Amino acid sequence: MTEKKARSWSSRSIASRWQHRFFYAAIRLGGRRLAYFFTYPVVGYYMLFRPDLRRRTRHYLGRRFPERFGLAAFADSFRLSLSFARVLVDRAIVGILGPDSLDVQFDSYEQIQKLLDQGSGLILMNAHVGCWQASMSSLHMLQRPVHLLIKREPGDVDRHYHEHQKEAPPYNIIDPDNLPASAVEIVGALQRGEIVSVMGDRVFGNDRNRLRVPFLGQEAIFPVGAYKIAAATGAPIAVLFSRKTGPRSYALELAGVIHVKPAEDRHLDSLRPYVLQFVQYLEEYVRNNPYQFYNFHDIWQK
Amino acid sequence: MEFKQKLKQTLIRELNLEDIHPEDIQDDAPMFGDGLGLDSLDAVELVVIVQKHFGVEIKDMEEGQTAFQSINALSAFIQERKQQ
Repeated sequence: MTEKKARSWSSRSIASRWQHRFFYAAIRLGGRRLAYFFTYPVVGYYMLFRPDLRRRTRHYLGRRFPERFGLAAFADSFRLSLSFARVLVDRAIVGILGPDSLDVQFDSYEQIQKLLDQGSGLILMNAHVGCWQASMSSLHMLQRPVHLLIKREPGDVDRHYHEHQKEAPPYNIIDPDNLPASAVEIVGALQRGEIVSVMGDRVFGNDRNRLRVPFLGQEAIFPVGAYKIAAATGAPIAVLFSRKTGPRSYALELAGVIHVKPAEDRHLDSLRPYVLQFVQYLEEYVRNNPYQFYNFHDIWQK
Repeated sequence: MEFKQKLKQTLIRELNLEDIHPEDIQDDAPMFGDGLGLDSLDAVELVVIVQKHFGVEIKDMEEGQTAFQSINALSAFIQERKQQ
């Protein structure tokens, strides 16, 4: 991967350490309203004076609203960025003011519990929608250990919500690059009937483990790792999306369950129906919640 | 058939390592990265394959580090566990 491409796939925060601290102070002094207020000038600055960042919103928005140009497109970029800034504020609020500062509606609890009762563990597949970290704080209801498959970049100043209180994370973080330990951890967790959470719309790792499938009318790249793990271990995949439903409320909703058959044919194409199933759920989500999709990577790149 | 040969054949078949033959795999080459070139997802399958085909469970990360160093290491690990 070229350096330019590698940067474009970076998940590091665009803000500096002092900018993050400014918002943390605003939350402590004035709560959500004050922090939300400051999102207007900050997002306005980025949209007007950082065309590179505005362009990053266009990868998705240009496909979601292909008919919009000029001012309408600028307004879309502003709205999406403002919505994202507020999700980041919400995430910090959960860390600073505690999980009770947000209401998370989790109606699919019983369905998830039934999947866990099958004894093969559970792969929770999320996407860059809503505020998955804040919503994940409600998974303690399931009373099962949660393992998060996440690749964190060195030097990223953006804090996970539990890091505000310097507490131990409520989930175990598995670094997929830590081989072969990560593999042993994943298989062990699922065989113990625990939960492994992965992102279904973020590619990392080897180029082999990705497929191109249509998303919003054009071929986009999606990872196949979770489906491979499901095929190897027999764990079902619950596609769970977070959605902001009000100033201080989120819903954690089960979009669907994907059952991957044990692998007979290891060619990636055998996993295509499962990727398509996930993308269908994701497409339905972004059609209903157009300003809650925060994957700013160019997943449509050739 | 030598156990290492059987192990290599099983890995080639189960991991679908195209255009690789048992004689292409060096016994002491690293399994991940530059050696056999396996990645994180292959590793997940590898853990399951070892359980399914050889009845040996890799219980923790330390065991994984030891067992998955090379074909030599994996072969020794499986044979040792089967004798226990």
